[in-house]
Amino acid sequence: MIRVLIVCSWGMSTSLLVESMLEAAAARNYTLSVEALSAGEYMDRLDECDVVLIAPQIRHLRKSIERLAQEAGKPVALIEPFHYATMNGEAVLEQVLLLLQETQEGQAQP
Amino acid sequence: MNAMIEKSSAWFERYLVPPLSAIASNIYLQAIRDAFIIFTLPLIIAGSIFLIIANPPIPALAQFLQAHAGIQNAILVPFNLSFGLMALFLAFGVAYSVAQYRRTEPVQPGVLAMVLFLVASMPVTNLNSLTLGTILPYLGGQGLLIAILIGILTSEVMRWFRSSRFTIRLPKSVPANVKRAFEALVPAVLLITTIWLLEWFVSSHTVTTTDSSGHRVTLQLTLPILLMKVFEPLVVVQDSYPAALLEIILMMLLWSVGIHGMNIVTAIAAPFWFSTLAANAAAGPAHAHGIVTEPFFHIFAHLGGSGATWPLVIYMLRSRSAQLRTVGKVALGPAIFNINEPVTFGVPMALNPLMMIPFVLVPVTIVTINYLAFSFGLVHVPMVMQPFTVPVGISGFVATGGDIRGSLLQFFDLAVSAVLYYPFFKAWERILIAREEAAARGESERATATKAVSSVSSGAGRGALSR
Repeated sequence: MIRVLIVCSWGMSTSLLVESMLEAAAARNYTLSVEALSAGEYMDRLDECDVVLIAPQIRHLRKSIERLAQEAGKPVALIEPFHYATMNGEAVLEQVLLLLQETQEGQAQP
Repeated sequence: MNAMIEKSSAWFERYLVPPLSAIASNIYLQAIRDAFIIFTLPLIIAGSIFLIIANPPIPALAQFLQAHAGIQNAILVPFNLSFGLMALFLAFGVAYSVAQYRRTEPVQPGVLAMVLFLVASMPVTNLNSLTLGTILPYLGGQGLLIAILIGILTSEVMRWFRSSRFTIRLPKSVPANVKRAFEALVPAVLLITTIWLLEWFVSSHTVTTTDSSGHRVTLQLTLPILLMKVFEPLVVVQDSYPAALLEIILMMLLWSVGIHGMNIVTAIAAPFWFSTLAANAAAGPAHAHGIVTEPFFHIFAHLGGSGATWPLVIYMLRSRSAQLRTVGKVALGPAIFNINEPVTFGVPMALNPLMMIPFVLVPVTIVTINYLAFSFGLVHVPMVMQPFTVPVGISGFVATGGDIRGSLLQFFDLAVSAVLYYPFFKAWERILIAREEAAARGESERATATKAVSSVSSGAGRGALSR
């Protein structure tokens, strides 16, 4: 089970991406849960996720989100704007998997 | 052309993004915006439904209700106790959101802020002699500024007490909930006392104003009335063409560098927008005159999403560029509901010096046209609040309280947008087609698998964008 937290603006456009990610995950036999929350709401949910993604339209908050995510020990990255634009769940899922892989490798050799 | 475009985007990224980001990431501005969006907007929209019923767009029904004021007043009760109390809920929302950004317990400051707001709004007198009607405007649109100030104050004071020595400490064995209640006691009593004494002093003075029906009345002064007196000039200035122009330019500059512009300008302008909107709602469709409100932007300027990009989606669907066609297909559904992140980041408009020109210019033109149309009375001013996702055509009718010319204005704006965007779209399309052809030539030398170019593979689209 991979739990993804997407921090976005008002959650409207991200909900479309979430659907596409769930489809992509189902096609590749991953169990995925994705939660899209606004920049004011995500903090309390940091502990209950594995990966944090940032929607491109709030990249001005990137630093503060990255700091909180790192404090909680979660890998974090900005969603590639074009993938976000085309609601490319497949590519974003790939990004999530890559992030998780990198974290595991990092933990293996401290 | 390509090199120039890349150079100027790097320049924007370096010099334009940091100052805009700094404003946008201010904690108080974020909290105010969240408070409006999460806590008050649903109530304002719900209340708006009753406002429409009380002022129906069907002449026969409207005449009936005018003749039977009792029925109209009855329909307005739920409106007055939701839309009409927006400042009360805003006080909760601001305190709650600030606490959340500060990562402390949010409900207690939220509830306390509501109490403090009520203390600030009621003149210190025999409460039996008060009539709700005189207080009501200041619990709604006229009380937004004091609600915001009290919300911030409550959260920050409670946070300070929690981290200081001046709080009641209980042994570790006491359950967390009980402990929290006691911790809140000292700041709660202190804040209530302070606001109450301040209000007592203020309400020993009187003020003469005109009420909604134009009569001059003498009232006991309260903190919201006092604050409104101080800020009145600002509210008036905000409801003007230069202010509207400034706001739309700021919104679109932010979006031009890929930051949510509407979101950020809302944080600054919302108290003024909703103050004006509440005045419109109270005045009714015949007498409302405030122009620069939330629907002025969300419903009448951002047609198909920020930047009025609806026509671009249509152009893209028939484009010869694979990238634009891909984006167009994804963008169509969201555009109906005025969501355009696919356009902004897919065309892209953001950080694209060529498309940034109309991205700012088109909304500026539309705002100008609309301001003129509203100020000459060609169309009723917006007075109803609805979600920004209501499709173009319907939303213009509803926002104006049922004026079909509201929809016509939206369609006229769309036509203007279509004309202004066209030359820029064509120029950008030529650049993309040239890039795609160059990429295809490179690829066909390597392999016969050229299917990828014509398929919807986003990989092909992305390659064309970034290389």
